[in-house]
Amino acid sequence: MAFNYDSYLRMEKMPTLWCWGCGDGVILKAFIRAIDKLGWQKDDICVVSGIGCSGRFSSYVDFNTVHTTHGRTVAFATGIKLANPDKHVICVAGDGDGLAIGGNHTIHGCRRNIDITLIIIQNFIYGLTNSQTSPTTPRGFWTVSQKVGNIDPTFDGCKLAEAAGASFVARENVTAPKKLEKILMQAMEHKGFSYVEAVSNCHINLGRKNKMQNAMANLDWIDSITMSKKKWDALPEEEKQNYLPTGILKQDTEAEEYCEMYKEVQKAHQGLRGPITQDDFEKKL
Amino acid sequence: MAVMAAPENTPVWVNTDRCKACDICVDACPAGVLAMQPEATSVLGAMISVIAPEACIGCNECELCCPDFAIYVAEKKEFKFAKLTDSAKARQEAIRNNGYRLPDEYKEAN
Repeated sequence: MAFNYDSYLRMEKMPTLWCWGCGDGVILKAFIRAIDKLGWQKDDICVVSGIGCSGRFSSYVDFNTVHTTHGRTVAFATGIKLANPDKHVICVAGDGDGLAIGGNHTIHGCRRNIDITLIIIQNFIYGLTNSQTSPTTPRGFWTVSQKVGNIDPTFDGCKLAEAAGASFVARENVTAPKKLEKILMQAMEHKGFSYVEAVSNCHINLGRKNKMQNAMANLDWIDSITMSKKKWDALPEEEKQNYLPTGILKQDTEAEEYCEMYKEVQKAHQGLRGPITQDDFEKKL
Repeated sequence: MAVMAAPENTPVWVNTDRCKACDICVDACPAGVLAMQPEATSVLGAMISVIAPEACIGCNECELCCPDFAIYVAEKKEFKFAKLTDSAKARQEAIRNNGYRLPDEYKEAN
């Protein structure tokens, strides 16, 4: 007996179009196992993805799926969630899709704390379009758009999500699939906006020109730049910027969820209550 | 839980229609159970094969890290898995150093 992923996949789309060894497949598997453990019905789940290699995610899973425009995953998902508050809405975006082109939507999704799970597949590059610099590309890396080495400062998506108001923020590696599965499970169960950064490998478009020719070299590099939050906390302040902490970075179960507050707006329109005033929020301010 | 029946008396089995020969499972295996074999029709010229099923310890690492839904491991209650031996570790090291292909000296032993 082994876990049967096929019952959650669209078999006519198999095998996946991702390159050999792509971390996206490991994330997809962890995601499917997490859904299976939660015991959710397939029809109660909506997976929204944008453009990029991560955009293929929604094509492979046999749930309700939307393959949207570049970077607009959270915008579409917000609409889907408001219209169907009882369904589970999960967004999948890459680091270019979710942090560059869709950075604005990500911020406002976090700010509203709407009950969506956003999985950012972080591979440090624009993979699908052949290695252009993304907001997370480390400095000094070769990219097609910066052939003498990237000079742009890098961007920490988890810090952004924390600051913007997401109530669940976590990061995990594809090299730890069991931990990733657990984090995804916790994120999907969490009521409120959950931001999960899955650090993934792209040895084809990031590694090939950066001395990581195969998947194993790229995965070893990922292991060398990440460490558990517990270890990271113990580091001296000046070394912290060299590593990415993994694990749950923020979990706030008290924050108000947007769909719950939106019910009050509906009540006001139906004449069941008066207009919403600042007094309604007073205790929270 | 969605489960898939295991072929009889098999610790680990592969779906070669899905394998893209990325070598990740061969690298992850601690017991030298897996190795790449030359395969002319595959894009990368190699295909996964289970070369030493009797050495499988059932750690499930290969299944967890396979990105392509191509490899499966039986459950512990179904199959009596081996213990990790020094010869298995040595074989794993040899496979890893030989570009994830089975070295010639092990081919003769089989």
